[in-house]
Amino acid sequence: MADQELQVTEKKEVRPTQGEFTYEGTYFTPAVDIYGTDKELVLLADLPGVNSESVEVDLRDDVLTIVGKVTPNIPEGEALLTEYQTGNYFRSFRITELVDQSKITASMSDGVLTLVLPKVEKAVPRKIPITAS
Amino acid sequence: MIRWRIGRDPLWNELDNLQRRMDGLMNAVSPWRPSAELPLWGHARLFPLLNVKEAGAQYVVTGEIPGIKTGDLDIKIEGDTLTIKGERKAAEIAESASYHRRERALGMFQRSLTLPKTVDPDNVKATYKDGILTITLTKSAAATPRQITITSE
Repeated sequence: MADQELQVTEKKEVRPTQGEFTYEGTYFTPAVDIYGTDKELVLLADLPGVNSESVEVDLRDDVLTIVGKVTPNIPEGEALLTEYQTGNYFRSFRITELVDQSKITASMSDGVLTLVLPKVEKAVPRKIPITAS
Repeated sequence: MIRWRIGRDPLWNELDNLQRRMDGLMNAVSPWRPSAELPLWGHARLFPLLNVKEAGAQYVVTGEIPGIKTGDLDIKIEGDTLTIKGERKAAEIAESASYHRRERALGMFQRSLTLPKTVDPDNVKATYKDGILTITLTKSAAATPRQITITSE
């Protein structure tokens, strides 16, 4: 895996199937990694250009929504090469696991959002002891 | 190493024109069209995707490379060629953890970009903020246009 070549992923623009955004601007779907252990779910999202002040994470009922606002900081001058567009980020997930909403932690560093969603006690799988009678 | 030419390079412009004309011809002859995914220069993509702006004596190169340590990035200047090299490493996860989704691309990358003019290797500024790499390069004195004053005798 060490010499694996990084492949280009084109930015995908969000095209909402239901309900459009009330504010103007382009929205892209960020790439995410989600992994889970028995105790928690961890979500990593690539949001280049977003800092801790411009990211919003919202968990309502079982829908987790991530919105990242990008303030365009486009250098002046004549464009010689334009391979990517800049815009905001939007993505939402339906969380099926039982998550303890009061213990969610979020952090932003180098354009990557890390969300830790601890599972509620009930959802932590427990080994059920079987007693032989 | 793949070199990248940008700007008004007559060779690539000529190739683009050729491609356009071929497309036009194809359309005129039959409805069949070669796939847009053919690896022609205009379509080939390498990580990181870059935007280049020219402002006066400076070139500003920006690229989105989220989640990398600046120590894992290597930027080199050689005449008119800028090389960006690096590696995006995977997050360390516990052994008991399992991935539900894996979309973030990982691995090594290297990309060279040939700028239209030579740049001053001592006058390069690279910053990395919120996952965006910005490299500001200044054209070398020899490449900067000079105003010639005419003295009348």
